[in-house]
Amino acid sequence: MTVLDRPGADARPRVLASPPGTGGEAFSLQDRVLMKGNEAIAEAAIAAGCDAYFGYPITPQAELLEWMARRMPEEGRTYVQAESELAAINMALGAAAVGARVLVSSSSPGISLMAEAMSYMAGSRLPMVLVNVMRGGPGLGSIGASQGDYLQATKGHGHGDYRVPVLAPSSIAEAIDLVGDAFTLAERYRTPVILLADGILGQAMEPVKPTFRALERPPRPDWVLDGAAGREPRVIKSLHLRPEDLERADLALQATYAEITENEQRWAGESLDGADVVMVAYGTAARIARTAVERARAAGLMAGLFRPITLWPFPAAALCEAARDARAVLAVEMSAGQLVEDVRLAIEGAVPVFHHGRMGGMVPTPDEVVDAVRRAWSTSDGGAS
Amino acid sequence: MSATREADGASPGSPAMSEGRTIYARPLLLTNPTSYCPGCGHGIVHRLVAEVLEELDLGGRTILVGSVGCSVFAYDYLRLDSVESPHGRAAAVATGVKRVRPDRIVFTYQGDGDLAAIGTAEIVHAAARGERFTTIFVNNGIYGMTGGQMAPTTLPGQKTTSSPLGRDVETQGYPLPVTEMLSLLAGVQYAARVSVADPGHVGKAKQAIKRAFEIQLEGKGFSIVEVLSTCPVGWGMTPTEAMDHLRDTVMGAYPVGTFVDRPRRIAPSLPQPGPSHRSITEGF
Amino acid sequence: MAMSAPFVDAPLRCPPNGTPTFRPVLVAVERCKGCELCIDACAPGALALDTGQVNAMGHHPVRLVNPDACTSCAKCARMCPDAALSIFARPREG
Repeated sequence: MTVLDRPGADARPRVLASPPGTGGEAFSLQDRVLMKGNEAIAEAAIAAGCDAYFGYPITPQAELLEWMARRMPEEGRTYVQAESELAAINMALGAAAVGARVLVSSSSPGISLMAEAMSYMAGSRLPMVLVNVMRGGPGLGSIGASQGDYLQATKGHGHGDYRVPVLAPSSIAEAIDLVGDAFTLAERYRTPVILLADGILGQAMEPVKPTFRALERPPRPDWVLDGAAGREPRVIKSLHLRPEDLERADLALQATYAEITENEQRWAGESLDGADVVMVAYGTAARIARTAVERARAAGLMAGLFRPITLWPFPAAALCEAARDARAVLAVEMSAGQLVEDVRLAIEGAVPVFHHGRMGGMVPTPDEVVDAVRRAWSTSDGGAS
Repeated sequence: MSATREADGASPGSPAMSEGRTIYARPLLLTNPTSYCPGCGHGIVHRLVAEVLEELDLGGRTILVGSVGCSVFAYDYLRLDSVESPHGRAAAVATGVKRVRPDRIVFTYQGDGDLAAIGTAEIVHAAARGERFTTIFVNNGIYGMTGGQMAPTTLPGQKTTSSPLGRDVETQGYPLPVTEMLSLLAGVQYAARVSVADPGHVGKAKQAIKRAFEIQLEGKGFSIVEVLSTCPVGWGMTPTEAMDHLRDTVMGAYPVGTFVDRPRRIAPSLPQPGPSHRSITEGF
Repeated sequence: MAMSAPFVDAPLRCPPNGTPTFRPVLVAVERCKGCELCIDACAPGALALDTGQVNAMGHHPVRLVNPDACTSCAKCARMCPDAALSIFARPREG
């Protein structure tokens, strides 16, 4: 019996009495338990039926690997600590080719190593989920949280004409939910999917409901490799040497991306009614922006928050609608200016767009964001940015 | 050699002959005519793999993990479920495949660039982990697909398009003895180097390939067969000249033989040993 | 994908009014690339390139020019990179 043949996905939600391995009693806040983000994401993947995990230690996501190292063998699933991120993502490629539900996790420098295989998996139409717990960059950078991989994640990540859906949770509870959604998207559209988190989300501990959603397993698709007995052989590849053939394959990919763009955009709006300055932020930056909204409004500044949850496909039309009556849009991110490019593309000059960013692991404070809101408000009378 | 289309079970050396008994026919696992150059060793190795898989009746549950090089098209020539790997990554891809489907027969088919240059980390670690797949490593000491450049297994003094004056060990280093290197690893259950230089060596190559797949059937550990092969076009020789060069020069630099053939998987409690050779650098 | 074709010819041909002829080697002419590895491997010299023929790939295929010299040792087939050769044992005399 292989990992794919284990007793069918448990339809009952998993209930954790306490986070496994903590050794002690659960710290319980009403009906919740404290879990570290990295570990919660890992456990959510296990509950969602992850068959195989491949990873390599890198700060700030090593706990995800370590959780998997203990829990995956307990559940009879496949786990390998690979010799590099390069090997890990390629093991995932192989596992996906034979129909496994696969998770890989890493952080920024390791994600760069994975770009090649992501391109191959996109071209080969292989589903899998990649978790990036972002840290400061470029290069070896720092181990602090950042959002400096936005462009990498949303603009295709590797070479060639492809995109991958990118889901950005801004709390651990949301991350738990989005893990299952990531697998669903990956399998529905036969594509890798990125779950974009950051070091704060990965390292923080938050109270979460101890139920992790199980995900049904669809019937084995007809492209999965399992030996050509009794049928024509199947080939999973991305090589199409004749330009006409490759264009045809690329057009099919683009059609899939159009379908994803049409159907899978997600966002959340907070305090958008009457907002003069609409902030756009995701992940941890969104939580800071949320506090900044409260403080700004308390000081008489009408601020609101538009929070994209899918970074690709970017909810451009929804943002336009949310900012239609605003005086300014302010992108708040932990990077030099990546999200803001998509904001400008979406707004198309209708409203001035401003930017507030910190880098290198520095986290903006709510007060400095309020100052940025104030600057955006005062600069924007009639002026474009 | 055995009859693969009509299994009448007679051995080729048998003196008893009936009406036109088939001695050899093309295996059914070989499909389309290949685009390999005339005399290219890949054709021979593809054929041997097909013969072995057919004789062991494994074709229907085998997964080919392809690689990048001239043999990237192997999936067009072998009737097997196949997955294409990025250059050098086949051993990692095969790890993912075999870990999830240990009940399938999984093998990588790689050239010297794919395995001994860009894929060296992946093959070393897969071997060290004792991954239970088989690697067919076709070593012709050159990069054929990209136009005949130097490979890690190119011999000193050998002229290639990126060593036009001949490989200079001072600046371009020494060749990698892959089978010797891998045979140091405890996870390797079977490691052999063979060649396709002439019918006798081709027969021994087939035996080694068969043994490698049998090791996988026994689920013991990693098996690899390094097949010394030719690249007539890259070497600037006719196919027969290339076979002569293989026999007279290449095989002198890379000794053929069985390097590892462990009777059982090394238990984790044993101290990390060197290779358990039955024979080293000896012919069969 | 195309399955490999069976023999386009048979090793033993029995023309209606002639003597049966047996050919121990059949060549899949369209697969042969004229690499001559089989010719090199054949000790009795039963094979040669058919320079009067060019196949669709543009090669001179090999031809069994001296069937009587062939012992069905199959060394030619063992060397063939294109699996273009099929080998048959000679039927019993009488």
